[in-house]
Amino acid sequence: MQETVLTFVDVAKSYGDVRALHSLSVAVQRDEIVALLGPNGAGKTTALEIALGLRAADGGRVRLFGGSPQSAATRRRLGATPQETGFPDMLRVEEIAAFVAEHYPSHAPIGATLERFGLAELAKRRAQTLSGGESRRLALALAFIGDPEFVVLDEPTTGLDVESRRRLWEVVRNLGSRRSILFTTHYLEEAEALATRILVLDRGQLLFDGAPRTLRGLIGGRRLSYVGADGPVSVTTQDADAYIRAMVNGAVVFSDLEIVRPSLEEAFLTLTGGSQ
Amino acid sequence: MNSLALVRAHARVGFLDLIRWPGYVVPTVVFPAMFYVLFDLPFARRSVPIADATALAFIVFAIAGVTFYQFGVGIAQERGRPWERYIRTLPAPASVRFAARIGVALAFGIMTASLVALTARAFTPIDLSISQWLRVFVYCLAGGVPFVLIGISLGYWVSARAAVPIATALNLLLAYAGGLWMPPSDLPRFVAAISPYLPTREFAELLWSVAGSGETLRPLFGLAAYAALFGIAATVGYRRDERKRYA
Repeated sequence: MQETVLTFVDVAKSYGDVRALHSLSVAVQRDEIVALLGPNGAGKTTALEIALGLRAADGGRVRLFGGSPQSAATRRRLGATPQETGFPDMLRVEEIAAFVAEHYPSHAPIGATLERFGLAELAKRRAQTLSGGESRRLALALAFIGDPEFVVLDEPTTGLDVESRRRLWEVVRNLGSRRSILFTTHYLEEAEALATRILVLDRGQLLFDGAPRTLRGLIGGRRLSYVGADGPVSVTTQDADAYIRAMVNGAVVFSDLEIVRPSLEEAFLTLTGGSQ
Repeated sequence: MNSLALVRAHARVGFLDLIRWPGYVVPTVVFPAMFYVLFDLPFARRSVPIADATALAFIVFAIAGVTFYQFGVGIAQERGRPWERYIRTLPAPASVRFAARIGVALAFGIMTASLVALTARAFTPIDLSISQWLRVFVYCLAGGVPFVLIGISLGYWVSARAAVPIATALNLLLAYAGGLWMPPSDLPRFVAAISPYLPTREFAELLWSVAGSGETLRPLFGLAAYAALFGIAATVGYRRDERKRYA
């Protein structure tokens, strides 16, 4: 049976003359892991803030577990990450974790959650002594510590190195097996690694809503660059393998061959190309 | 989850984050007692009335300082922080956060004022009965209200950077002109003229009435008027900030 966790119907939001969200209609179902992508200024943060009850929509209907996200009782089933990482300097990691856990009637064991995110040895450390990566991990742990049914993560791994990012994906994937997650990210790779569904937002409107595989099909090209007989060459192709095979068979002179996946920005350009 | 437990959790976090900052604890909790020892102790030892009056005046100074810092500086610095924004996503209503802030201020207020009272008990002939101290405590709760509201107004109308110097200046000026550091009759003439209308002076008059000098009702009215005025300023400031940040 499918249960809807979060519903946006025709949600609109403006700041003065700036329209952040146009008429956004989207729903997150139970057990879905949804990635929200979009260029800067697309309205991702606004959409998240409305889902978290931080802001009220100007128009449309927002429902979190059938209630208003602005009611504290509704948010008991919701966990979120602090944006950036400004913890009270003088508090210890375990104190912050216990404080957040106390808001949830049936929270997860604090020690076990800290352990999962590699924070067990840091439990007694004061927040001000944490490194950027450690703060990020604490922020993520806080979203899950209440054992909520719905978790909202704002750029969960921004600023982390590849290695720690992969490790965190693993943890989040394990924790995400019996709950819904909505997260924003700047990394296409992250969306593909975690999400069962991807939303692309651009200028306050939903541009894409579908499986990661479908999105990859739409923007699946590769960019090839090499130094040829007449200097550097750069081409974009849907099938890099076939292109290289043809180059080798045709005895094309090349060196310094590189195959690059289009960045998220380039992907957005492909997607938004038609609507420009 | 009952809200009393949540208020306690929020207050605990707020208290711990402050008590571990020497930069907060020393100026707010220790300074009033220290100033009292440095400036007033020599006079306070002379007679019972002087001992009573000076200790009560410094209790007012203590409470004004705590409320200005806790509400004025605290709100001004926290309202823009990511942590504050995060706290709002937790399942706790705004009333819990506000009640916790009052609880923390109360805890620091009692600590600060007690330090002054204990110093007075130890080194001066101060002579107040248990029931008089109880009245002092109750009047402090009542007299603290307008100061809390002045602090909140400050917190919402002043920027984080300006909050500390403004709260400090206000605290010191109101203490001096309100006659907390010397008998009001010794103040320069033009200061003496405005002194009776200042909230610190009204608060001091209220406490002095416990020791048998002056009336109770008049300063209470004065403090109520300040509470009404800054109640409005605080509400408008709060709404303005909410609209800007969270509308």
